[in-house]
Amino acid sequence: MTHARLQRQLSAYLDGELAPAEADEVRTHLAGCTACREELSQLQHVKALLLRLPERSVPRDLWAAIHPRIGSPPTATVESLGEVVRRMLRRPALALGAAVLIVALVAVPLVRGRIERLRAGEIGADLFVREHALASADDPLSDRAYLGLLIGDANLALAGTPREESQADR
Amino acid sequence: MSRGGVLVVWLVTVLAVPGLGAPARPPWPSAAAVVAAMLTAPALVDYEGTKVLSAVRGDRAETVTALESYKRLGKLRLEFLSPESVSGRLIVDDGASSWQYEPSYHLVIRGPSFLRPPGSPAQAQEFLRGYLVAVLGAEEVIGRQTIVVAMEPRAGGAGRRYWVDQATGAVLRMEERDATGEIVFTSFFTRISFGLNLPSAVFRFHLPAGARIISLFLSGDPVDSPAALRRQSGFGAAMPASLSYGYRFRDGTVARYGALATSAATYTDGMRALTVYQTPSSKMAFPRVGIPVKLEAAEARLLDLGYVRVLIWQWRGITYALAGSLPAAALQVIADEIMR
Repeated sequence: MTHARLQRQLSAYLDGELAPAEADEVRTHLAGCTACREELSQLQHVKALLLRLPERSVPRDLWAAIHPRIGSPPTATVESLGEVVRRMLRRPALALGAAVLIVALVAVPLVRGRIERLRAGEIGADLFVREHALASADDPLSDRAYLGLLIGDANLALAGTPREESQADR
Repeated sequence: MSRGGVLVVWLVTVLAVPGLGAPARPPWPSAAAVVAAMLTAPALVDYEGTKVLSAVRGDRAETVTALESYKRLGKLRLEFLSPESVSGRLIVDDGASSWQYEPSYHLVIRGPSFLRPPGSPAQAQEFLRGYLVAVLGAEEVIGRQTIVVAMEPRAGGAGRRYWVDQATGAVLRMEERDATGEIVFTSFFTRISFGLNLPSAVFRFHLPAGARIISLFLSGDPVDSPAALRRQSGFGAAMPASLSYGYRFRDGTVARYGALATSAATYTDGMRALTVYQTPSSKMAFPRVGIPVKLEAAEARLLDLGYVRVLIWQWRGITYALAGSLPAAALQVIADEIMR
């Protein structure tokens, strides 16, 4: 299992949710990986903070209010769709608001998808260079300093601050 | 025989037998021995030096200077000195993770290690199967005696030349040439110190106070066949097991960054890697980088970073990218092969 995969399992490891074999694997990896030990330590800290939060008790009358309503016939609060539409047409402002909401619900994912596609087009080449440079590390005669330079430049671009921009900014 | 007679006999003999009067040249090691020494050097020596890298990127050359420190068996520290755009960048790789600090952004980027365990002498045989390796001679580099070796892929492609320190096996200088013989990349030490047993603390990253941290672990678990990669990604075409220029499938993985997911099939010719990426075109706009290039069945763009070239094109709803150190013409041949 890779470092990245093991790192994603640290939370489950901390909560004791892993199978014994998986937990052993994580434990072995932790022995040799400083980064994962630090991550685990941070997770432990967060868990400790959460445990310190006070528990709120449920109001005593909550169940008494809910129980009589279970199994009772639906009340007038449930309206037919036609009734809702007719009521909204009698109030144009409400109808307009609803229309805007529906358009927004449809448009936002579309716009978001388009923005993500454009962003992917901008960073795609950097992702390709970075992952290829990491794959090239298996070539024992590759130049490590140049691989570091390529990976470093691509990392900056993926983080949203490509090197060329930094040069122009100065 | 008189003293004058002896002198005449020696002179005649020296003139008749070329090289007899010259000081004896020590025999050069075999190509296999040099390659084996290069592979095992990272297990044997620590070093610290100043390195100059020059890469031809399209129509311009970029020169970068860095301090490179290496500790066996796989710890690296790079401090970039120039040009201004990288000055101050620090990369520390402890063999498990790499840490990159960008002082101008007060930003730390953490990612996977790009160091691998030292090679073995057995790997030298693998190289010799895929590469023509020739010992060209001996030369002095920064006051140290080196053996010069040339490596040319048997299946064609860019050749490399290495100046290998005779005492340690470390590469003190390296050149990469394209198919026309033009040098497209050089790397050389201007100063180096060996065997320092550098302290481990040099290779430990200390987080600067208040720095922003970004983690970039983008690749999932690797798979060992093109079919498994196709199943894992859920998109694109199954890649062939081998490609031109002696490349065969090594492993595959799916890399994700935000909404961008791409499948990466990595091939090797025994030394160098070649990666084929596939991304649904619906998820990625066509990258407007590099220069336009024409393929048999599609328009493409070529991004030339000197040491690495990336060829990108769209075909049947998939955006393909080829990344490798092969010359541009060879990348085009492979791109056409993938589309057939």
